[in-house]
Amino acid sequence: MANLVAVQPALHQHLLVVPSQIDTHAAGQNLIPLIPAELSHVATQLPVVLAKNGQTGQFVLAALTGFAVQENLMLEQGHWQGIYLPLQIQRQPFFVGKATPDAADYVVCIDLDSPATLFSTERLGAQRLPADAEALFNADGSETAYYRDAKLKLAQLLQGEQQRELLLSELLALRLLQPMSLEITFADQSITKLNGLYTIDEQQLAQLPAEHLVRLHQQGLLGAVYAILGSAAQIYGLIARKNKQLGY
Amino acid sequence: MTQQSHTQHINTVVIVGGGNAGWLTAGRIAAKHQGQVRVILIESPGIPPIGVGEGTWPTMRSTLLALGISETDFIRECDATFKQGAKFARWVDGSPEDFYYHPLVLPQGFGKADMAAYWLHGSLHGSLHGTSATTDVSPAMANVGPFSSFSNDLCYQEAICERGLAPKTIRHAEFAAVANYAYHLDSGKFGVFLQRHCMEKLGVEHIQDDVIAVQSASNGDIAAVQTQNHGLIAGDLFVDCTGFKSLLLGKHYQVPFKRCDDVLFIDTALAVQVPYETSDAPIASHTISTAQDCGWIWDIGLQHRRGVGYVYASRYCSEAEARETLARYVGPAIADLAVRKIPIESGHRTRFWQNNCVAVGLSAGFLEPLEASALVLVELSAQMIAEQLPATRGVMDIVARRFNETFLYRWDKIIDFLKLHYILSQRDDSAFWRDNRDLATIPQSLQDLMQLWQHRAPGDLDFTSNNEVFPAASYQYVLYGMGFRSETARQSRQLNNWDFVASQLQQNRKMIDQALTLLPSNRELIDKIRQYGFQNI
Repeated sequence: MANLVAVQPALHQHLLVVPSQIDTHAAGQNLIPLIPAELSHVATQLPVVLAKNGQTGQFVLAALTGFAVQENLMLEQGHWQGIYLPLQIQRQPFFVGKATPDAADYVVCIDLDSPATLFSTERLGAQRLPADAEALFNADGSETAYYRDAKLKLAQLLQGEQQRELLLSELLALRLLQPMSLEITFADQSITKLNGLYTIDEQQLAQLPAEHLVRLHQQGLLGAVYAILGSAAQIYGLIARKNKQLGY
Repeated sequence: MTQQSHTQHINTVVIVGGGNAGWLTAGRIAAKHQGQVRVILIESPGIPPIGVGEGTWPTMRSTLLALGISETDFIRECDATFKQGAKFARWVDGSPEDFYYHPLVLPQGFGKADMAAYWLHGSLHGSLHGTSATTDVSPAMANVGPFSSFSNDLCYQEAICERGLAPKTIRHAEFAAVANYAYHLDSGKFGVFLQRHCMEKLGVEHIQDDVIAVQSASNGDIAAVQTQNHGLIAGDLFVDCTGFKSLLLGKHYQVPFKRCDDVLFIDTALAVQVPYETSDAPIASHTISTAQDCGWIWDIGLQHRRGVGYVYASRYCSEAEARETLARYVGPAIADLAVRKIPIESGHRTRFWQNNCVAVGLSAGFLEPLEASALVLVELSAQMIAEQLPATRGVMDIVARRFNETFLYRWDKIIDFLKLHYILSQRDDSAFWRDNRDLATIPQSLQDLMQLWQHRAPGDLDFTSNNEVFPAASYQYVLYGMGFRSETARQSRQLNNWDFVASQLQQNRKMIDQALTLLPSNRELIDKIRQYGFQNI
């Protein structure tokens, strides 16, 4: 459970983030939320799917990283085994929050319980700090390049969420989604069924009237649609990872 | 009739009367014939619709789909909730623990084996009741059971309803489900919602005016209706949705009304809207029908209130007594609530389609709402008119004849099925219940079926018309829920696949376990629909 507090120079002068620990946030997740802007990176290594949030029934856009609910085959010894790490993990341990529920402006928060968060207190100072530990603030109270970069990622994510909502509402309105039902046999002959995942309906897309295609293109969404379609074959890579884990 | 009028295309349909019947019919015709047929609906301003019928059948899901309505919008705007059948309380002997269900899911294994016969045989002659000398108890049969009630042993929906659970989750797409379902809805809000949809999306024209006269053509057809402020409105087909007034079919054409109060005694309803005590109060996910001394009380849970009403037979009890019965059911809250009295004239017109006029809704007839037949008859009528809309006046008489045959059959079947609920009761607390069992009040068609069912369970071949309203499964639920027992002893040799029966009963128990784990409460799902809505896939 995340323990979020608003980042403040006065309070967090000695707060450090250990980037090599960030990957661990992907543990136990078989669906990692994505924004449309990163689809071209993700689609070359993982299947991109749509799934429904269990609590709200709303669609989420996500990378499939495992075949069981808590299985993430992309993580080995706490390290991400791919070239591109989804922004949703990259941004850890930072979050965007609001100081009060009705506040108009966003504030940057940090998860104090994250394995990537450290306090360089006197006591800790005696130990050896991890070599890659990064401070948020310089001695003069100004923001470090690392922290500025972290905030940039949050801004990207925030912006990307709007683009994602636009993509999802277009896909639904144009009836471009279809459920996918997969039955996979692994090398040890065990069989798993994947339910509750959705992808692009290729036939429906092929029949889409030109004006809808143009609108998707003008909104910058057409690339995302094709990236999702093209990512389907990455399921074989994921199956190979599973077979390797099974010892084959 | 001139040749010209004979080949005259049906271009304009005029619907007289709004309400759910008017708008559902207008919507079905407009959705099916968009751009080809002009649909005009004339509605009297200031006449509130009767607003009866807050319960639907699962058919409403296909009706909403056919109209292009989003389920999320419908639920949000019509105060609608999920209905998974009806619970009949105190109908058998009147004791507090007496109840059975008529759920919307078919009995487990229905259609694959005569499950009702197996269930009857098992519960009558099985090991647990193995005192019968007439049959051998085979080892396979002895392993089946124990048996509780027909609706609980063979249908997982009763368990869902008893716990107030919804038939689906927020992750299910619009109209998709775990368990078959219908709706409870606010009739007034539904009318307004349909009106807006029909006008904005389906191009139905709306005229707010009073119809004051009918202008006839030489062949007896209605050429036009005269309105107070909009002059003559001409049309090729007129749909009478004027409610109990039956302005066109009853008043103008004088088509006789066939009363059926000799079979169904109920003639009055006292209706009241009961607010929930708290905003998170549970919502029952079925209609509750509780038998009383001279009728029964309906209890329908909507989002913000319950609709409760006592329907009774005034020749057996006074209005004062009926009000007291209703007050006892509702509790002290009734002191601040307005009780509305609605007369019920049970019966229907002897024809529904005369010349170029067809009646839909209360103008065609009405029966006590025991099995929510009002809205479903509107849907079935609207569907048949829309799908079989005569291409020309020349073929209209053929469609009319077929429509009349279809719906006379349906009314008769509904009357039989409603009567079935009464004739098996053991209640002896009033002449109302005793007289209901008098053979003279039971239609011959129902008596015949009851004689057949002394020896076997209702089957699909008892109901072979394309126009059936209730399937054999519904008769089974009511018959065996009411404690009727067909004698199956002579069938014991045919009932030889007890392993299959055991697997079906096991499957039902499994479905119950899964449903109870997966499904949210009716209230919880309604709240989520209000907040998030369903997806369309």
